[in-house]
Amino acid sequence: MFAALCAPSIPAAAILDVARAFTPRFEQVGPLVLLDAGGLSRLFGNAQELGTHLSEALAKHATAGGTAPRVAMASTQTAAALLVLGRPGLTVVEPGQEEKALAPLSVSVLDRYEHLRTSAPSHPSSSAPEHFSTPAPKHPSTLAPLAKWGIRTLGAFAALAGPEVFERLGDRGLQWQALARGIDARPLVPWVDEVPFEAALELEWPIEGLEPLSFVLARLFEPLSERLEQADRGAAVIYTSLRLTTKRVHTRRLPLPAPMRDPKTLRTLVLLDLETHPPDAPIDTVRVFIEPTPGRVTQWTLLERAQPAPEQVSTLIARLSALMGDTHVGSPRLLDTWKPGAFEMAAFQVSEVSAFAAKGRYGETSPKLAPETRASEGGPEVPKGQGAEVPSALRRFRFPIPTRVQVQEGRPVRIVTDRNGFTSGAVVQAAGPWRTSGEWWAESGQVGPVGQVGQVGKSHPSNQPDPPDQPHQSQAWDRDEWDVAMTDGTIYRLVVERGVGQWFLEGVVD
Amino acid sequence: MAVRATVEALLRERKLDRTLTSAIPERLGEDAVAPLGVDALDLALAGLTGPQRGLAGGLPRGQVSEVVGPASSGRTGLVWAALAAATRRGETVALIDTFDRFDPPTAAACGMVLPRLLWVRGQAVSKTAVAIDPAWLPGVRAVNGPGTFVERVIDRALKSLNLVVQSGVCTLVAIDLIDVPAQALRRLPAATWFRIERAIEGSDTAVVILAAQPVARSSGGRSIATGISTPGSRQEVSSRQGVPSRQEVPSRQVLWKGEHDRTRRLSGVRVRASISAARSNQARQLDFDTFCVSAS
Repeated sequence: MFAALCAPSIPAAAILDVARAFTPRFEQVGPLVLLDAGGLSRLFGNAQELGTHLSEALAKHATAGGTAPRVAMASTQTAAALLVLGRPGLTVVEPGQEEKALAPLSVSVLDRYEHLRTSAPSHPSSSAPEHFSTPAPKHPSTLAPLAKWGIRTLGAFAALAGPEVFERLGDRGLQWQALARGIDARPLVPWVDEVPFEAALELEWPIEGLEPLSFVLARLFEPLSERLEQADRGAAVIYTSLRLTTKRVHTRRLPLPAPMRDPKTLRTLVLLDLETHPPDAPIDTVRVFIEPTPGRVTQWTLLERAQPAPEQVSTLIARLSALMGDTHVGSPRLLDTWKPGAFEMAAFQVSEVSAFAAKGRYGETSPKLAPETRASEGGPEVPKGQGAEVPSALRRFRFPIPTRVQVQEGRPVRIVTDRNGFTSGAVVQAAGPWRTSGEWWAESGQVGPVGQVGQVGKSHPSNQPDPPDQPHQSQAWDRDEWDVAMTDGTIYRLVVERGVGQWFLEGVVD
Repeated sequence: MAVRATVEALLRERKLDRTLTSAIPERLGEDAVAPLGVDALDLALAGLTGPQRGLAGGLPRGQVSEVVGPASSGRTGLVWAALAAATRRGETVALIDTFDRFDPPTAAACGMVLPRLLWVRGQAVSKTAVAIDPAWLPGVRAVNGPGTFVERVIDRALKSLNLVVQSGVCTLVAIDLIDVPAQALRRLPAATWFRIERAIEGSDTAVVILAAQPVARSSGGRSIATGISTPGSRQEVSSRQGVPSRQEVPSRQVLWKGEHDRTRRLSGVRVRASISAARSNQARQLDFDTFCVSAS
């Protein structure tokens, strides 16, 4: 039996004290506290009585006029957590009745719980103290497709056939469905007392600039790193709080790609982050807090090249980000869309997946050859009579180049562009049109100019103003593509935006 | 001989021995190369004097190589092949993309394992970006310093290249300088490339420069020129009017599939490449085809 507590009007420390008073086996998931209530019946009676005891204990800490505390008892921690998020007061579910009890709850409850599970630290002491708290980012709903299908309740979601959910939502869909049925994804991880990894230094004289700050940070990080070493922990996130002479507090949160505890690396990373986001006044007090995580296990196979150390990678990324900008450094990640050239930028992390696994992935993403050149049994083949075969790359212009095109019988026969370095003249041969359209069903449904196709993700955040020569972004597209060869042998990818009839050079096949 | 030994000792003392031809290995060993994964090209890169069995060729590690050629000559595809082969071997690679021309969906379709690619995106040059300060672009820090906008973009790309090679994180680093104006490239000091060469010397990092014309190559590196023309060679071709005439063989030949206008598709390009290196008097020529991939 598990119990879940949620009381927004009570401080987190008080809820933890209540939990600690009942059992040492509890876990914090965001604002929720999950208790393993197994074996408590001899002390507190049955589930109903235990729930009442918990409610009463929480009510003692509640302030007048605040939200009433919620308590849920169920035989799985997932069911208890979902019920406490979805129902007020005390809820007790008999074993075996979890799915039935969860059925009327809204899907949004699952969405909220999923967000808490994935974003909240699993350890109370590892969460940042209040003075480091930063506004939580607004996250997109991970279960948005369900709303489009008309699935409103967990019962309706749980009733869907598993294979069909997998086809549409993948592995995560199945995981969500298991949660909707109240099945635990993992066992409860009890909390163990740990002294927070925090250090602060009040300066006698305010310091300006990052160079003197470097010495202060070194002094703070060295003892912290020693403690991390002793506890076999690594830093997962570093919070840096600088109290300025203007009485303002400049706070930075620096997530690390891998657990690390080298003081020099930690100091360099924080300094590079502050170089990108400097404080606007001299510094009075420096305070750092490290969110710990279990230490890294480094075990490489003898058959593979060793991967670079995460410290090296994160330092490199920080330096590159300071030089090029945050959104211009990383690894591209493809999006699940038919939109031409769509991608988003993801953080570059050294994968600990072996090359053998990568080969497996390669099998999934093997070169998609044109049908006429596809080898009989996978993989490119050297064509007969030729020395080798190399893939053709597409060099895509992020700002497609407007061009004037002469058309005869529906086919481009001449291209004129005033841009230097691009070929104008007669088209020797053309293949097309390849017509694509999409996202016209989306809510912001106007077809946008081709200039916005393929530029998705962090590179142009939606909260930024559009550049002067880049009008409002639209997700919809409707266009024809042509591959055209010019007299000098250059092959262009030519695109006509059907809505406005404008031609663009989108890239060079190279 | 004594003079030679003295000169070589002095060069070694000043760490300039890499410029000695005797220091360049005659043959590339298996552990000293980053193979492209294209057998014929790797073989050509391994033995410039002819096919040699048991040798794995590719771009030499610890050296700066270059791939040059005109547009649509397979130069970018060749570098992508090298990057894709390295990522499939489990290596971490980097692409310094000066003008942000990389297309991830096509690269993934070419077999590149994208999570193993560190992509440093330069500045895409828009219609007005050359004329105005780029500070308005979201997510991009303003570049202070002398020079034109394009020069500052190149400067940032080269600084990025320096950072990447000095970190030792990536085993194959490519820098794309294709759309850089020739005059801007000529203005780069020669020390730029010496610095890169010195940074990767003795390491297992291979650097490849992708450009429209020769830029730089270290003493042990390779130069691959794609789309080279064969002067003097002419063949009989028929013009549109059906009148046969003799024309110079084009440096590259576009391959199409399908006879009818409605069924025609781009199949690839037939390209002639020339591979040259130090200690080889004659460049080796090789024909290869590129094939089109479907990114969707």
